[in-house]
Amino acid sequence: MTSQNSNPKPPATISCAEFQEQLPDLFASGGSGEPEDPCLVAHLKTCENCSALVRDLQYIADQASLLLQPTHEPSDNVWKKIQEGLNSDRTDEAGQNPSHS
Amino acid sequence: MEQQGLRMTEIKPGPSLFKRNPPIAGEAEAIESAKAGDAEAFSKLYALHKRRVYTLCLRMLGNVSEAEDMTQEAFLHLFRKIGSFRGESAFSTWLHRLTVNLVLMHLRKKGLNLVSLEETINPSDDDAPKRDFGSRDPQLTGSVDRVALERAVASLPPGYRMVFVLHDVEGFEHNEIATMLECSTGNSKSQLHKARLKLRELLRQPEQSIRQAGLKEAAK
Ligand SMILES: [Zn+2]
Repeated sequence: MTSQNSNPKPPATISCAEFQEQLPDLFASGGSGEPEDPCLVAHLKTCENCSALVRDLQYIADQASLLLQPTHEPSDNVWKKIQEGLNSDRTDEAGQNPSHS
Repeated sequence: MEQQGLRMTEIKPGPSLFKRNPPIAGEAEAIESAKAGDAEAFSKLYALHKRRVYTLCLRMLGNVSEAEDMTQEAFLHLFRKIGSFRGESAFSTWLHRLTVNLVLMHLRKKGLNLVSLEETINPSDDDAPKRDFGSRDPQLTGSVDRVALERAVASLPPGYRMVFVLHDVEGFEHNEIATMLECSTGNSKSQLHKARLKLRELLRQPEQSIRQAGLKEAAK
């Protein structure tokens, strides 16, 4: 949209700090971190630091699904205690003690 | 009906519920039997969900014995309340929400103020988003495996870890997290962002510093 020119500076002057301040909302709105605001788009296109940052953060968010895999297993003791808890519930019910909470 | 106007804009579906919580064979029957008090059915539901519930507790708490206690609590709670499960959401979603709420209640009882975590953790990190990140550093893309990520997540400060696990791993929305943590959605968004920034920093560091960060966290 902006005419091509040889000027390496971004057309809109926002700093890296200003760009990065918008990141939490950008990620939250689109999920992809790709902005619509032309100032932000321009900065992202011309700033290597910030585009690398966005790429990395998006990558981390994507990789998080790797952690969805349940890799840890509780010890057998946990189920034993659950059964004990359930059994004592039943005993309470059978004990004709309606006021028991 | 109000939703119709939204259809013109591209709706990016969140992490699909189906993908995250695929239906499990035999689960529906087990739930019905469990409602009737069938002990076998309890055992089956436990076997189906124990790993994910325990893993969630472990990631939120960062501690095996507390995670086991909370897993036990979560399933006891589940079995006592299963009669009120109406199937409006996926069973696993229901179970995870219940688990998260129990863990948060447990943390509050321990006196951990979840709302103010942001202020209590490494105040210097609050400047992180304003820091200039050097492009000379290696790119992360393609370089992170599950083990490295798991280790980095474990070494996050508790408040960051909580939001990261709830949002990026478990797939809860910011408004749900805000309700669960009793904070604003803005707070949840900024915590998540800081968590990812911290992870980026950790994942770019050699392994040793991650371990040190982990030790520092464990010593608290
Ligand atoms: Zn920049």
